Amino acid sequence: MGTTVTHAPAQDGAHAAAASPRHGPPVAPGHAAVKRRARRENLAGYLFLSPWIAGFLLLTAGPMIASLYFAFTDYNLFDAPRWVGLANFQEMFADPRWRKSVSVTLWYVVIGTPLKLALALGVALLLAQQRRGQAFYRAAFYAPSLIGASVSVAIVWKAIFSDDAVVDRAQSALGMDVGGWIGDPHWILYALVALTVWQFGAPMVIFLAGLKQVPRELYEAAEVDGAGPWRRFWNITLPMISPVLFFNVLLETIHSFQIFASAYIVGGGAGGNACGPADGSLVYTCYLYIQGFENSRMGLASAMAWMLLLAIGLVTAVLFWSQRRWVHYEEAAR
Amino acid sequence: MRTTDGVDRRGLLRIAGGSVAALGLTATATACGGGSGSGDGKVTIRYAWWGSDDRAKRISESIKLFEKKYPKIKVKKDFQPYPDFWKKFNTQASGGNPPDVFQNAIGFLRKYDAKNVLLDLKDQVTAGNLSMDNFRAGLATFGEVDGKLLGVPVGSNSMALVIDKPVYTKAGVKPEQGWTWDDLDEALGKIRDKTDRAGDSGMYGIMYLYDIYLRQQGKAFFTEEGLGFTEADLTQWWTKADKSIKSGLVADTKKVVQAKPKSAVTAELAAGEFTWDNFTNRYTDEGKSEYGLAPIPTTDGKKTGQYLGSLMLSASRKTKHPKEVAQFIDFMVHDPEVGKIMEYDRGVHATTEQYEAYQPSDPVNQEIAAYEQSLVDAGVLEPITPHPEGADICESAFLRIAEELGLGTRSVDEAVKQFFTEAKTAFRH
Repeated sequence: MGTTVTHAPAQDGAHAAAASPRHGPPVAPGHAAVKRRARRENLAGYLFLSPWIAGFLLLTAGPMIASLYFAFTDYNLFDAPRWVGLANFQEMFADPRWRKSVSVTLWYVVIGTPLKLALALGVALLLAQQRRGQAFYRAAFYAPSLIGASVSVAIVWKAIFSDDAVVDRAQSALGMDVGGWIGDPHWILYALVALTVWQFGAPMVIFLAGLKQVPRELYEAAEVDGAGPWRRFWNITLPMISPVLFFNVLLETIHSFQIFASAYIVGGGAGGNACGPADGSLVYTCYLYIQGFENSRMGLASAMAWMLLLAIGLVTAVLFWSQRRWVHYEEAAR
Repeated sequence: MRTTDGVDRRGLLRIAGGSVAALGLTATATACGGGSGSGDGKVTIRYAWWGSDDRAKRISESIKLFEKKYPKIKVKKDFQPYPDFWKKFNTQASGGNPPDVFQNAIGFLRKYDAKNVLLDLKDQVTAGNLSMDNFRAGLATFGEVDGKLLGVPVGSNSMALVIDKPVYTKAGVKPEQGWTWDDLDEALGKIRDKTDRAGDSGMYGIMYLYDIYLRQQGKAFFTEEGLGFTEADLTQWWTKADKSIKSGLVADTKKVVQAKPKSAVTAELAAGEFTWDNFTNRYTDEGKSEYGLAPIPTTDGKKTGQYLGSLMLSASRKTKHPKEVAQFIDFMVHDPEVGKIMEYDRGVHATTEQYEAYQPSDPVNQEIAAYEQSLVDAGVLEPITPHPEGADICESAFLRIAEELGLGTRSVDEAVKQFFTEAKTAFRH
């Protein structure tokens, strides 16, 4: 054993030198060669990346820069863009429909996101316990997340919440006579909120993964100290999964701000470029779409898009700033 | 092992390079796919329209006839429902790839003329590829703007009150030519009291109806540059609307909105609706009852303010085949066989050739023909000027804001103010 070890380096070196001409002279296994090889591998790497890079430059970065320019112009797609400075932004802030779209979106985010996450966490807690058929439940709860964004589900949703449909009848049976949600300027937003909450499966799966990471001993120790279930949840589970919670809050918030398809479809069919009755489901991106593609105001629509990006950036920054106060990282504690 | 390693990588690179090249090729191929014309002298033109599946079937049949008569021309079809049509058209036209020939309406002539999208067909008329003879009721000049021929009418239609006949009979209401708006309100009240329906679907957001109402007073919705009425005018119209909604003369807007895309009439929410006369056909397909036409109420007992509207066929200025496009339009508006195939789907045929070729045998189409003939005979028809640029956005805003009024989210004064603000923006851009 000992001999083999001492001989090994010399043998290996000789072997390499003899058998592999591209590794260069045996004495210095070759900085230049290694470099050349690394460079070649880098090149190959970039070549493999090139479809993505080309796509990013052509389809994402290019249009984004163009839209930043359009945001300061009056552009109807036909005539050359005309520089107007900040006029688009001024018009935006003065437009009551724009303000309406902001408020609809904010309500949607503020109501929908916490509800969805609360439900996701609640169900994840139930599913985290070892039970029979757990895999089935997990799949069943996750399924809506897969299909929820589709056009067909939005159409079904519209049917469910219309006059004399399932929800209306169930409500009437309970003595709540509000009529179909789809035709009501206020209730239609809650139909959309219900649609997003129904898709709680995606954050649920992430919560489940987080819950599995919480060490058992903590619970056992707490139980010995006489902590009840609520206490254990509040003082152990929540802090331990706070990074996962942060991740979910961040993702869902950003996602909610960008809601488009479901609002456009559920609120579609209302007359006159509206989204929902009396613009009840006029979320920000819907109004952006109306201005851009129906009213041919591409400059204004670009300005709106950048405004949305700024707003989402701001909210994200605030969330990141706030995490110092409530997100507990294992590493930091050590 | 080492050798295979090298080959593998090089091979992979080659594959990757190949895919990139292939991507490039596909892109070029797609770009060329929209092009037309090929070696054998055959020419392809693209025709886009909006409408129902039924219309699509009739048009396809007409195109088959056309291709038989002109074997060197192939017509590519492209159709959408109305709201999607203009979004797609707008995008294609701005990208320099509009359809060669397309369905058009009065509200879009000036808009797309200002954007240099439309072809002046006068040259084709002079060249003998398109005939503007034998148009009925002064329709030949319907698609003219500033001396340019931008659209060729295919069929006339006129605003009317489309009614559910049994419901009207049950309520004991019999509309007559020359009845007034007060008579209408009284009739709507009777219907509300004696049947389970509202009298009307809610007429106050329909631009074309308000246009007629204004014309009865010597005004119009649009002038050549902007709006032809004042805030006071609209306040009066929408105050009337507010009253009718609150008293239940017209259907609950909430319900009407949810019934869409079905009409409030066929959804059995209302006994009638102001719309284009040829929609009676659509309602007959869609609903269970028997539908017919009633005259437009008047202000002075005589003047209805009506005019004949028409769908049109327009050509793109960008088309590479103006001659073939003109031949196609000529065929679609003059050929008697096409008249028989289309029936009154696009309205009552614009040319005498087609008008005479198709004699409706069913009561619905007979009534439409009789209705329009009565308008021509009564001499009540007025000329209409093509709407100004921005009119389509105004029309949308008018409908939406009236709906908000109906849903109670805006007062009359707020609604009027909002409409004038949006109209101003629409005309400025």
